Amino acid sequence: MSASPVPFVDADLHAYADGQMSSERVRDLEAELAKNPELATRVADIRAQSAALRSALDPILSEPIPERLIAAARPPSRRDVMTRLARDYGPLFATAAALVIGIGIGWFGRTIELERQGMPVTFARQAAFTHALYAADVNRPVEVWANEEKRLVTWLTKRLGHQVQAPDLNPLGYSLVGGRLVAGNEKPTALFMYENADRQRLSLQVRWADSHVSDTAFRYAVENGVGVFYWIDDNCSYAISGNVDRAQLLAIARTVYGQLAVLDAAKPAPR
Amino acid sequence: MLRAGSDPAPLPHPELLAAIPRLRRYARVLTGDASRADDLVQDTLARAWEKRKLWQAGTDLRAWLFTIMHNVYVNQLSVTRRDAANVSLDSEGATAAWQVPVRANQLDRVELLELVEQMGRLPADQREVLLLAAVEEMQYDEIAATLDVPMGTVMSRLSRARAKLRRLVDEPASPLRVVK
Repeated sequence: MSASPVPFVDADLHAYADGQMSSERVRDLEAELAKNPELATRVADIRAQSAALRSALDPILSEPIPERLIAAARPPSRRDVMTRLARDYGPLFATAAALVIGIGIGWFGRTIELERQGMPVTFARQAAFTHALYAADVNRPVEVWANEEKRLVTWLTKRLGHQVQAPDLNPLGYSLVGGRLVAGNEKPTALFMYENADRQRLSLQVRWADSHVSDTAFRYAVENGVGVFYWIDDNCSYAISGNVDRAQLLAIARTVYGQLAVLDAAKPAPR
Repeated sequence: MLRAGSDPAPLPHPELLAAIPRLRRYARVLTGDASRADDLVQDTLARAWEKRKLWQAGTDLRAWLFTIMHNVYVNQLSVTRRDAANVSLDSEGATAAWQVPVRANQLDRVELLELVEQMGRLPADQREVLLLAAVEEMQYDEIAATLDVPMGTVMSRLSRARAKLRRLVDEPASPLRVVK
């Protein structure tokens, strides 16, 4: 075999330097390298460059890992999120719950019960997907921009058959980007998109709830890395979604809830 | 969350955690920016859970995650660009600012910084292959599968990346330097 050596090409030198050459070829190439110092230098250069790159880039591996990445690696299972929520955010949820009329005990239990009914957990999941889809869209996150807020609200109100409002989140640093109509399971859903100075986006999604769900409580879900606070109030389902931490999202959800309650109380309530 | 408990989630959580440092390094090489890189890693992990049913136990998780990261990155480029139909990494040139810590006790610290900086001037598709072959020490066929390109493309990118990086490092810094 070595009597009729196949000529070596550039790719062979790389394969050899990277230790990816078959042993027969290695023997032949090494014989060639012994005779050809120019070729040997090229191989040495490749190896030296790789070693230098590893020296330069290996320190990244020992950098401390940010908490958000550790969180993103966690399985998005119910058990996991529930235990973490109960452990870390029990008091916060108690505060949130106090806002809601008719809150009882057994928050987790009810969530599971509602999940069995196919509501409104599905809504949370859908809200998260919808948020992820449109929030990632740099150029066209919304159908109607905030400069036409009035038109937007009128349009969405008409399509939902129910009065909707875009809450003012400016006090929290989020301004309205605009909104759009999105498809829900059975019913159309209104989406309002907000953005802060860091271009973090949030979306509030609103749709009519199924009439058989009379339960009102704040619930929290993480779907595909998107946090969602959702609740049902007066036969309307609300979901606020974003890639922000739970405490912040809860604060936003409370603001939205509070504003909608005020708006609701102020209007003659035709329903 | 809120999936039925019986939902098959074979994606191994500890191994996913263990892959984060390598994902961060790959992302840093792609984006050239530490915080954009971590955003990319976060998106990649979210996508991995989303696609967990496509993960085949026993195969190389790192390569699978690298594939997801590559695709997420390419998709994000196409979203941020008008010419969304035709984005390829070869047009994604030099990175903005390299943020790679170099330990003070490394002997040729300056040379390493220079090397990394020059690596940032390679087209992204070449940087990627160079990282996977020279730093991650992946097999060429694995790289081809990860990036979904033919082996020949891997070899030519690797060859061009190494030659160009060598030229860039060897050249004296000059504003008149011609970069091919």
